[in-house]
Amino acid sequence: MKFRCERDLLVEALSTAGRAVTGRGGALPVLSGVKIDASNDRLEVTGSDLDLTIRTSVGVNIAESGTAVLPSRLLSDIVRSLDQGAVDLEVTGDEAQISSGRSQFAVRTLPVDDFPHLDEPSGDQVSVAADELASGLKQVVLAASSDDARPILTGVLMTAEEGGLRLVATDSYRLAVRDLPEATVLGEGQKVLVPSRALGELIRVLGHAKEVNVRLGERDVTFFVEPEDGVSVELTTRLIEGEFPNYRQLIPASYPNEMRVGREQLLDAVRRVKLMAREATPLRLTQRDGSLELMAVTQDVGQAHEEVDAVYSGTDELTVAFNPDFLIAGIEAATGDEVVLQTLDALKPAVMRSTEGSDYLYLLMPVRVS
Amino acid sequence: MRLVIARCTVDYDGRLQAHLPEAVRLLMVKADGCVAIHADGGAYKPLNWMNAPNRLVTDDDGWTVTSPKGETLRITIHEVLDDTAHDLGVDPGLRKDGVEAHLQELLARDVEVLGGGWKLVRREYPTDIGPVDLLCRDDDGAAVAVEVKRRGEIDGVEQLTRYLERLDRDGTLRPVRGVFAAQEIKPQARVLAESRGIACVTLDYDALRGIESDHLTLF
Repeated sequence: MKFRCERDLLVEALSTAGRAVTGRGGALPVLSGVKIDASNDRLEVTGSDLDLTIRTSVGVNIAESGTAVLPSRLLSDIVRSLDQGAVDLEVTGDEAQISSGRSQFAVRTLPVDDFPHLDEPSGDQVSVAADELASGLKQVVLAASSDDARPILTGVLMTAEEGGLRLVATDSYRLAVRDLPEATVLGEGQKVLVPSRALGELIRVLGHAKEVNVRLGERDVTFFVEPEDGVSVELTTRLIEGEFPNYRQLIPASYPNEMRVGREQLLDAVRRVKLMAREATPLRLTQRDGSLELMAVTQDVGQAHEEVDAVYSGTDELTVAFNPDFLIAGIEAATGDEVVLQTLDALKPAVMRSTEGSDYLYLLMPVRVS
Repeated sequence: MRLVIARCTVDYDGRLQAHLPEAVRLLMVKADGCVAIHADGGAYKPLNWMNAPNRLVTDDDGWTVTSPKGETLRITIHEVLDDTAHDLGVDPGLRKDGVEAHLQELLARDVEVLGGGWKLVRREYPTDIGPVDLLCRDDDGAAVAVEVKRRGEIDGVEQLTRYLERLDRDGTLRPVRGVFAAQEIKPQARVLAESRGIACVTLDYDALRGIESDHLTLF
C-alpha cells in the first residue's frame, strides 16, 4: 500500500475514525488500531470498539492499493506533528513508513486479519437536515447518563412523533425532550435507543454537512455525513436493547408557578454564584414578584448571593434548590432571549422552556434542602 | 468535658502574642487538659487553643492556662452564660475502614442488589491466600466472588483476580466469576476489571442503608 495525502485531510480522517478507538484493546489488541484501506483513489480509515464504528473516507493519490492496521493514537500524533503539506504513507511487510519533507517515521503494523469484520449498513436510507439534527441532539444528549450501570439511561430515545422525530434522554435527575417535526426518520410507531456516546460523536461531524443520511438496521444504526469537500464519515453504532422509562408520565400536566427571566442574565448569574456551590452543594433559587434571588452556601468556604430581574407569577415566595451544573445545562440548551422556569413546589420536577417555540423541554428534579 | 459559654477576652503569650477582644465564646476544657476557645463559626477550628498537657488555674477574674513550654493563655471572663460538664467516657476511636466493612455487611444482608435471585453462600469466604468478601450463587446457581471496596482501584481488581484464580481450583465452585463492587470505581480499575471479565458494580451507600438522598430523582 502506498499513497499521498494532504496532512490536514489525513489528520481529520485519522482523528475522527480514532474517536471510536477507546484504547482499551484488552481482549482484542488490534482494536487499539485503525484499519486503513487504500483503493480506487480513496482512502478509508476505520476505527471501532465493536459498539461504535467510525469510518472516514477521503480522495487521495494512490500509487499502490492495500490494507493495513496501524496504532491509532501514535499514527494520528505523528501525522499531526508534521509540517503542512503532502504526507506519504507506504506499508511494506509489517512496517509502515510515514514521511513528509525531511521527517521519516517507521511504525510496526498490527495484524490486519485480527481486525473484526464489520457488517455493511442495512435498512432503507432516509435523509435529514444536518443542522436540525445537530441542534436537537445537542439539546438532548446532555441529559443522558454516563453511568454504564444503567445502560438504558446512557441512550437517547429516537421515536416517531406526529410525522416527525422526537429525541428523549434522561439520567433520572433530568429529562430532555426535543421534537424535530420536519425530520421523518422513523416509521409510525417505530422507536430506537441510540447510545449517547455515538450521538455525541455524530454532533462533532455534523458541523459542515448540509444533510445526513440514516440507515436503520435491526441491531444498529448508521449515519452518513458527506460534506461538499473534505472527509466523509460513516458512523455505525449498536442500538441499546431494553425498555426506555415511560417519560410522558414524568411531565406534570400544569404548573402553578412560572418565572420568566433573561437567558443570558440568568446564565451569567448562575455561573457566578456556582463558584460558591462546592462539593455537590445545591444552588437555591428564591422566586418572588419582580426578582429571582440566587444563593449558594458551602460550609467552611463561604456564600454567594445575586438577584436578577424576573417576571414571576404564583405562590408568594418559593425557594427551590437545583444542582447548579444541571441548571446551567438546561439554560444553555434553551434557545432565545428569555427562558421560562415552571415549578410546582420545592420537591417536584421543574420545567425549563424556551420562550421561542414549544419543541424543547428540560425537566429537572430539585435537590432537597433544609 | 467542660463547656462554658462566656463573654470573655483572651490573651495568648507564647510563640507569638495574640488578643481576642471581648465577645461571647465557647470555652472547651477536655478531660486530657486541652483548652480551646471557639466562636460560632469556623467549623471545627478554634480561635485559640492550648494542647495538653496544661495547667489550668482559676481565679475571680478568669482562667490562666500554662503549658510546660512556657506558653500562657489568659481568659478573662466578664459574664458566664452557661457552664456544664459531662463525662464522655473512653472513645472507641475512628474506624477508617468502617464504611467498607459496613458496605460488605449491607450487601451480605441483601445480595439481590447485585442480581435478582442471588443467594449468599458466606461472608469472608476463605481461600488459601485470604478470605474473599462475599461468595454468592447467582440465579443460575453459578458461583460469584464479590470484592467490596469503598474506592475501587487497580489493587482491588488484582486482589479479586488472585482470589478468582484460587477459587477456580475448587471443583465444587468452578467456574467462578467475579464482581468488583465499590462506592466509586476508578476508570483504570474498571478497564482492567472488564478486560478480565470481572463485572463492576457501583454501590450507593445511602440507598443500601435505606437513606433517601437529597438529590431527588424523577423515577
